[in-house]
Amino acid sequence: MIQLKNIFQTYGKGHVLNDVSLDIPDNAITALIGANGAGKSTLLGVASRLLPVISGDVLLDNVNIRSIKTREVAKQIAVLKQTQSIGLKVTIAELVEFGRFPHCGGRLKAVDKEKIDESINFMKLNDIRDKFIDELSGGQRQRAFIAMILAQDTKYVFLDEPLNNLDIKYSVEMMHIIRKLVKRLNKTVVIVLHDINFASAYADYIVAMKDGKIINQGAVKDMVCSDVLNNVFDHNFNIIEHMGKRVCLYYGNHSHDLIPNFNSEDEFLNQIGHNHSATELDKSIEKSRRRDFFKFQYFVDKIKSKDKKTCSNENEIESRKEGTKMN
Amino acid sequence: MRTIKVNYRPSVKLKRMIFISIIVALVFSIAFYIYSRTFAKSERLGIRMTSIAFNSIMERVVGTMIGMTVSAFIIAFVSLAFQTTTGSRILTPSMIGFDSIFIGTQTIIVFFFGTATEIFSNIYLNFVITAGAMLAVSMLMYGAILRNSKNNIVFLLLFGLILSGIIRSGSTYLQTIMDPSSFAQLQAATTVTINGMDTRLAKFLAPFMIALCLIFLSRHKTYDVLALGEDNAKNLGVNYLKESNFNLVMISLGMSISTALIGSLTFLGLLAVNITREIFKTNKHFLLFLASGLIATLALVFGQACAEMSQGSIPVTVIIDAIGCSYMFYLILKENKKL
Repeated sequence: MIQLKNIFQTYGKGHVLNDVSLDIPDNAITALIGANGAGKSTLLGVASRLLPVISGDVLLDNVNIRSIKTREVAKQIAVLKQTQSIGLKVTIAELVEFGRFPHCGGRLKAVDKEKIDESINFMKLNDIRDKFIDELSGGQRQRAFIAMILAQDTKYVFLDEPLNNLDIKYSVEMMHIIRKLVKRLNKTVVIVLHDINFASAYADYIVAMKDGKIINQGAVKDMVCSDVLNNVFDHNFNIIEHMGKRVCLYYGNHSHDLIPNFNSEDEFLNQIGHNHSATELDKSIEKSRRRDFFKFQYFVDKIKSKDKKTCSNENEIESRKEGTKMN
Repeated sequence: MRTIKVNYRPSVKLKRMIFISIIVALVFSIAFYIYSRTFAKSERLGIRMTSIAFNSIMERVVGTMIGMTVSAFIIAFVSLAFQTTTGSRILTPSMIGFDSIFIGTQTIIVFFFGTATEIFSNIYLNFVITAGAMLAVSMLMYGAILRNSKNNIVFLLLFGLILSGIIRSGSTYLQTIMDPSSFAQLQAATTVTINGMDTRLAKFLAPFMIALCLIFLSRHKTYDVLALGEDNAKNLGVNYLKESNFNLVMISLGMSISTALIGSLTFLGLLAVNITREIFKTNKHFLLFLASGLIATLALVFGQACAEMSQGSIPVTVIIDAIGCSYMFYLILKENKKL
């Protein structure tokens, strides 16, 4: 188990981490969430020995990580920061070979080769194993780096925003892979996530950070509720349950805020660009538009009269549809 | 019609072929160089080449050859190591103005101690002092900037430019108020060229430089990992701080020695390393080190032979820069087209 004890990290003036203590549960996905600058990445860096600890201790199975040789730590803990497209002429297979570096120092033995093939197959990269990594798409490159970490064969895996630059399909795929790591390979994964819904759907534990401190931690069901999240992100959350998973809606709580408000028919007509009519035809158009206004007003009232929380997406969509029709 | 461009990637066989042809080309250039120093010269001067004359020339040629080869290797190795650790393909450590530090040190010695002093006239002592000064300044610079501001290369370049500007104008000032005879001697000492290379010094330094090259080579696996960037290298159990400090010492050492020996060849390292990367398309630093060393030697020896044939009217730096520039332009344009 990895334990952090009273970690203080300072850069310049302020504390980036201010007295942080954390026990990372084994065989589970722990998601670090929080606003920008809350200290998630720093915490991940400290826990995974990428950043030297300024004050406090990081314990790996009750041994201080500072007293373990870097080579030995690399056999226990693997960490992947955001992958940049480095202009290196390295093929996927060569990149995955690097994962064995802590074990064999670059001289591959039969065991190492086996592990390399295993990881490449696990990440379904066998068809493109001889491609250079700068020829890959973002998702493929991400998978290649994960394969490297798999080849490293560590108990602990730290990932810093692995979903960055990935589209929805690859993001979901990546999270499924991470789940598989925990379930099938018994790894312990710590992951920094930006999207709370991914954390809610795939993580086991959530650690919420704010201003360099851990303000809440616990199982997903205790963490994904509006009380906690409102505090973490300083934003109002709407939480709905869908197929047993909680989904956060944070795109503005009041759906009727999105609907324009008109005080009178004339204002409405002005807004949609209707000039006062002279001809017979114009008059008939004006008539129908005035009718539209009442229709519009009817839906707006209906939406507004409803409770915030029960106001679902459907209403919003319906009213928007009406709105566009009217225009 | 659009054709799908298949990216160039050399097979192992092709790589071996290229490697062998580089060595063959190198052998020919060495022969060409020897010819340019001996028979071409005697023909031009209308003197018959005797075996005694040939031997005495060869003695000097061998010294120069050793100096050129080890310097070229050192420059290539140092450039490759620098590029790998900084993750930049456009920089070499020599761009930061080693030659100005070299000139500055010599000027200060002559200005304060005169030309008669032991530290100016004794080549070994003088070398130790100038190389030491370059080492100290570059270590300070790399240490202060590269370590504190996380590989901020632009900042390093800016700092280096400003520093070398200050040193250059400072030495120019000292040179103008110096007495003319000292100035003439100083001028002779600071315009280090390959012809003007002190072969005694070259022979003296060769074992040391070879040792430096071997240290670089023995660390090729570490460089393979360092090329992945700081975070990945740390993740793979490389003691990054230790390795990069050691690397900086090695780079400063190599640059100082080669600059003091044959002057500043800004383009050679950049050219050799980039050509090697383009040809071999690999991250295996063992291959990269050897090939870039050979290519640098080839460029230097061939360029020097051309310079000899032109009776010194075209300096070798001009030849290398001309070829290097056009090749770099080609590379940049080709890279641009791909995007």
